[in-house]
Amino acid sequence: MQPHTVKHGQFCSLKVHFVVYKQLNFPTPLSRDGRRAAAPLSKMAAPLTLLFLLAVTVRAALFNSSLKELISDRVEVVSPLTAWKRVIEGLALLDLGVSPYSGDVFHETPLVIYLFHFVVDYAEVTFMLADLITAGCLYMAVKDYNKQVFRKQKFALEADRYPLDCLELIRSPKEMHYIPLKVAMFYLLNPFTILSCVARSTCCLNNAVIALFILSTIKGNLLLSAVFLSLATYQCLYPLVLVAPALLYLLQHQYIPVNFRRPNFWWLVAQYLFMFGGSLLVVVCLSFFLLGSWDFLSSVYGFILSVPDLTPNIGLFWYFFAEMFEHFRLFFLCVFQINVFFYTIPLSLKLKDHPVFLIFMQLSIISIFKSYPTVGDSALYLSFLPVWTHLHRFLRNIFLVSCLLLASSLLFPVLWHLWIYAGSANSNFYYAITLVFNVAQILLVSDYFYAFLRREHHLTYGLYLKRKDGSEAAMVLK
Amino acid sequence: HTAGCFITDNVGQFFSSGHTNNWAVLVCTSRFWFNYRHVANTLSVYRSVKRLGIPDSHIVLMLADDMACNHRNPKPATVFSHKNMELNVYGDDVEVDYRGYEVTVENFLRVLTGRLPPSTPRSKRLLSDDRSNILIYLTGHGGNGFLKFQDSEEISNVELADAFEQMWQKRRYNELLFIIDTCQGASMYERFYSPNLMALASSQVGEDSLSHQPDVGIGVHLMDRYTFYLLEFLEDIHPASKTCMNDLFKVCPKSQCVSTPGHRTDLFLRDPGSVLVTDFFGSVRKVEITMDSINLTSVVSHRKEEPAANGELQKEVYSYSDQLPVSEIIHQKPKQRDWHPPDGFILGLWTLILLVFFQTYGIKHLKHIF
Repeated sequence: MQPHTVKHGQFCSLKVHFVVYKQLNFPTPLSRDGRRAAAPLSKMAAPLTLLFLLAVTVRAALFNSSLKELISDRVEVVSPLTAWKRVIEGLALLDLGVSPYSGDVFHETPLVIYLFHFVVDYAEVTFMLADLITAGCLYMAVKDYNKQVFRKQKFALEADRYPLDCLELIRSPKEMHYIPLKVAMFYLLNPFTILSCVARSTCCLNNAVIALFILSTIKGNLLLSAVFLSLATYQCLYPLVLVAPALLYLLQHQYIPVNFRRPNFWWLVAQYLFMFGGSLLVVVCLSFFLLGSWDFLSSVYGFILSVPDLTPNIGLFWYFFAEMFEHFRLFFLCVFQINVFFYTIPLSLKLKDHPVFLIFMQLSIISIFKSYPTVGDSALYLSFLPVWTHLHRFLRNIFLVSCLLLASSLLFPVLWHLWIYAGSANSNFYYAITLVFNVAQILLVSDYFYAFLRREHHLTYGLYLKRKDGSEAAMVLK
Repeated sequence: HTAGCFITDNVGQFFSSGHTNNWAVLVCTSRFWFNYRHVANTLSVYRSVKRLGIPDSHIVLMLADDMACNHRNPKPATVFSHKNMELNVYGDDVEVDYRGYEVTVENFLRVLTGRLPPSTPRSKRLLSDDRSNILIYLTGHGGNGFLKFQDSEEISNVELADAFEQMWQKRRYNELLFIIDTCQGASMYERFYSPNLMALASSQVGEDSLSHQPDVGIGVHLMDRYTFYLLEFLEDIHPASKTCMNDLFKVCPKSQCVSTPGHRTDLFLRDPGSVLVTDFFGSVRKVEITMDSINLTSVVSHRKEEPAANGELQKEVYSYSDQLPVSEIIHQKPKQRDWHPPDGFILGLWTLILLVFFQTYGIKHLKHIF
């Protein structure tokens, strides 16, 4: 209101532009429309190779130690869906001429049988390769994503859309330079991932397919994204919720606004869904031709959805369904399963401009609320955390979440031993730790969600709120 | 020359009984101190059998409890069979193969049928063949149709009969003598149906076998009556004895045993009067030392007529069944993978993969590949 402030503001804006342009001096020159050619990996090849070597060494060392059998049996690391013992058992049954889906042994998809029929002697190499593929895909995807984030930020700066006092929230290429490497490192050196790989849990293969899907989505390739997503859904059923963020991202990538009246929008959605549905159908039919029967549908998808096996794991289903009365079972089964899929709608509405964050949220919701979670599923979304390091100042529960996660991860084997072997605890103890672990995960995810939205809010309305007369104000969430 | 003629004439005697080795399986199935007598029973039969020539390597001795080193034994390292501690049947050279909790129905049946895990040592195996005469002695607490093992499980007479049939089909015995000293012991041999089995029991169905004498120094009954008198009978047998089975059937009449011992010989091919006691209780080798060489062709033809004369059962010639599958243990073959994915599937899958690849990356890459 006072002319003094306005003039000062204008002067500040000029100075700000100059300062910002100096700081954000990106090394390679801009092309006309702002797109950059994909920068070669050569700059980061050496640290990446070193990281890969280190990861392979750690895994190989554990594979050759006596811990391999011990880890393969831990219920936190393998579930009835992903256990390696069951894969071997299914292959052995097949050699005896019996369908691997007879009985309650094998719950993986037929394509896994096909893969392991040839590589079962080199299983360790396969799983290490899957982990490396996942890390490589995440690396490239995050690199591309960072470039796009930076480009969008540049346009927003040029269009003067940011209030003046939120410049400390602007990100610079220097800080974002090591993020892809950190993402790959978080994935490969996460103890959860290493345990999953050493246990030869097929969760590593699931993660690899989801990482390939993320990479192809971020590169903007409709066909590959649909194909990998259908493979991931075929494998595990829950990645179906990733259709929404994939669609949102691809629409954004091709500059189509989300407007229900535009034919462009419907055309892209129809294309994508057709490709997704078509490849899913093709893969299911191929599986039928592999074994010659439709057994696998009830053994894989029926098993995932109806949760007949109540072996304790780090999820929420087992305890609840163990104590439930039979005639309520179907109702609660529906409730629990809908819980996984339902968050898609409100989250997509809120995060329709930020599809990659939506992918992160969906991955975390899948790994917390799926029917047979393992630590390998958590490892995938935990590896995304370096991408959101700029939210550090808005996170409120860092200490609590890290303590809870650490404590629960360490207490899992202890309370399992006390319950099963020593007999001095019971299932309530183990379920308590499961609850702690899941509460920690939920707190982590909701904290990041809060921080993300808060940053967006600040970027729109300014970091320090001022009342009309210029004095400081505070926002109260009611 | 006369010695050579004598031998040639009598060489048929070398092959008359049909067995070339002897085995004994002696089982005591009871635990606890007050069942001292069952252990003493088994050990006295063990002693006789060993004295008459069967070596420890051919005896499978199963004792369900340790009486010699029991806390309540006032004379440790001894097991007496006569009161006033006249005879210590434990001695210095007793080799117990299955002791304590290892004496179970499963282990007993596995020993009989030979189905033991490859890691079982030879001392715990019954490595008999189709020329073995086996003595099986069981003692403990029993009832009508069953024998109690370890106070927690039972073996029935049907199971036992089936085990013997398995042994017959696997050619694990030539002739088998089954002796049982329990209450209602005759019920245990009622169900036998395999050939060449002879059975003896200490009491009929509905009767109890009684124990013999308590010893006030030790505080328990030392032996059962039947086995006590059996032991007395066997003490008179030496390796050259010509005592036959009919005399064994007369051991412990009702006046001495209070119960009526029974026997069963209908499945046995030879006449019991011609069966020597040492055919089962001892390991008697017919050895004649001579400096002459003997032509066996005539004996071979003589031998062939005998089975035809016997009539009922034609024993076919079987090869020696592999009791200890050493070759399987040494040469573990790698698993063969029998299942292969159908060709149509492989074709379809790779066509699709190639299609997706070219769709994504364009046809221009074709010329780089080809």
